[in-house]
Amino acid sequence: MSKPKRLHPIASVIQTGKRLKGLALPGIAFIISVGRHGKEGLVGSLVISLVVVLIILLTGILSWLRFTFRFENDELRIEHGVFIRKKRYIPFERIQSIDLTEGILQRIFGLVKVQIETAGGGGGEEAEAVLSAISKEEARLIQEYVAAAKNGGAGETQFVQEGQPVFKISFGQLMILSLTSGGIGVVISALFALLSQLDDLIPFQRLFGGFEKWAVHNLFIIAIIVFLGFFLAWLIALVMTMLKYSNFTVVKTEKDFIISHGLLEKRQITIPLNRIQAIRVSETLVRHFLGYGTVTIESAGGSTANLEGANVTLLPIVKVKQIQSIIGPHISDYIFANSFNPAPKRAMWRYILRTWYFVIPIVIISLIFLKVWGMLSFILLAFVTIWAIHKYRAAGWALNEQQLSLRFQFIKRTTVFMKKNKIQSLETRGSPFQRKRNLGTIEANVKSGVGAGGGSVIDIEKSDIEKIFEWYSRNKKGDCTEV
Amino acid sequence: MFSEPQKRISAKALKVWRISGIIKSAIGWSITALFLFLIHIFDWPFWISVLLIVFGVIFPFLHIILFPALRWKRWRYEVREEEIELQGGIFIISRTLVPMVRVQHVDTVQGPILRKYKLASVVVHTAATAHEIPALEESEAEELRFFISKLARVAEEDV
Repeated sequence: MSKPKRLHPIASVIQTGKRLKGLALPGIAFIISVGRHGKEGLVGSLVISLVVVLIILLTGILSWLRFTFRFENDELRIEHGVFIRKKRYIPFERIQSIDLTEGILQRIFGLVKVQIETAGGGGGEEAEAVLSAISKEEARLIQEYVAAAKNGGAGETQFVQEGQPVFKISFGQLMILSLTSGGIGVVISALFALLSQLDDLIPFQRLFGGFEKWAVHNLFIIAIIVFLGFFLAWLIALVMTMLKYSNFTVVKTEKDFIISHGLLEKRQITIPLNRIQAIRVSETLVRHFLGYGTVTIESAGGSTANLEGANVTLLPIVKVKQIQSIIGPHISDYIFANSFNPAPKRAMWRYILRTWYFVIPIVIISLIFLKVWGMLSFILLAFVTIWAIHKYRAAGWALNEQQLSLRFQFIKRTTVFMKKNKIQSLETRGSPFQRKRNLGTIEANVKSGVGAGGGSVIDIEKSDIEKIFEWYSRNKKGDCTEV
Repeated sequence: MFSEPQKRISAKALKVWRISGIIKSAIGWSITALFLFLIHIFDWPFWISVLLIVFGVIFPFLHIILFPALRWKRWRYEVREEEIELQGGIFIISRTLVPMVRVQHVDTVQGPILRKYKLASVVVHTAATAHEIPALEESEAEELRFFISKLARVAEEDV
């Protein structure tokens, strides 16, 4: 089909840069630690570092020279390795997904990074094959070959991009997404600034010494600096999210979702529909308050290095109420608009008590040591109690004919939608306290990348758990054929 | 209340767990002894030694006497045509349902103590999770592994 091709030379630069970056810190540490012992040490360590850098440059070029790929016999054939030659042949029809990334370097030269994953997948450090810089033309060729191989050989090759549009992020949504991401830091630092006003209440001076004395007197200034730091970090995070998620579009083709996003670094991710294991809607506190949430897909496959492969954002920000109407038509077997069965009333006390186990000792200790001011810890108590009630309110479950939906809150309020035939195992747990009150925890596991995903809800009615078990069980009660 | 799984694991499991509890305690004691020695040398507060000794008494009691007994009493399993049901735990009782169609492969595992008592554990793997049925008679474990892998192969379905 084609002659062996090399990656674009820029690939060697990228590769070398990555390795140098990894070595930079230990290298500097080495130079400093050896260089301290006089001139010879410094010169020696510098020479050694230089040699190491040269070796890396050389192997970078060599490995680029050795890396070839070609299309032959309906396979992508990659050969690489400087000392140990490796060959990897991947049949086109086995390729499950092709992810494209355009980093800044790639964009300058009109190139693209291609990550190829097969069904086997999993376990490995990286995707099955990574072509770190090839021309867009070549990337398109691979996509076409794969599409052709899947459609049963020769047939019309169709450019994979075509399909129904599912979602395109609007400017308003992008703003909400960016503004609500990582806002916690600012809140914390604001709190810190507030608390620092109370500096004379807490015996810092007795706790620390010299510099700390200065620090205590200037606590307010420090707090402001910290706050500004957080604010800056938040601003940076805001810009980063905007860059990352701008132009976020989702397109559905016959068998895949194709997600593309990014302004400076463009990414394109393909998720085969049949690899979807579960759909997750998560709402952070602020977003829940505004009625927004994030929809992610848990998919089988993906590699450990590429965690996003297992947990892909489908809709970065969307009104929770609109989820059904946006993706419902495209994955018709999932039902998102659901009425959830809550955890029973008596479970609320268990939710509250569970947080009290940790907080009550803190309250008692602070009352003992801080006397009257220890009462401030009651604020903490009130806060965690409200939090616990919030968590209790989130807990719920729903059963449809072929779908189990679990809703729970740890930090984010999360709803997981799972199909019966994707649930790998169902588990229930009960501590003595739960058993006494006829409550239990339900947990459903799905495959997610190389590990397990899914969800669990604490303290739901025991009879409800039995219902879910019965729904999942393939054995009708009574005919237990034992071994 | 839905009915518990019926089958129990081998009674010898109790003995095996107690032995491993003794081994754990022995390791724990040697570490404790080392610390007591250090405390004596460096004149660390006395209450740390007391705490360590109390811990050194409670730990063996839990791991040699209480936990194995509770664990054995709780452990039940049942392998049916279409699913595997497990029940286990010490204080927190858990029950797990694994459909045959989800089983990827089955292993039998045998540590040195289990081997001495002619016991083996069966580990059932799904695409996402692993579930162990501990301490079955060797022959039974062998049979179960064969049975499950046969059924899992029959019950083909898309993942």
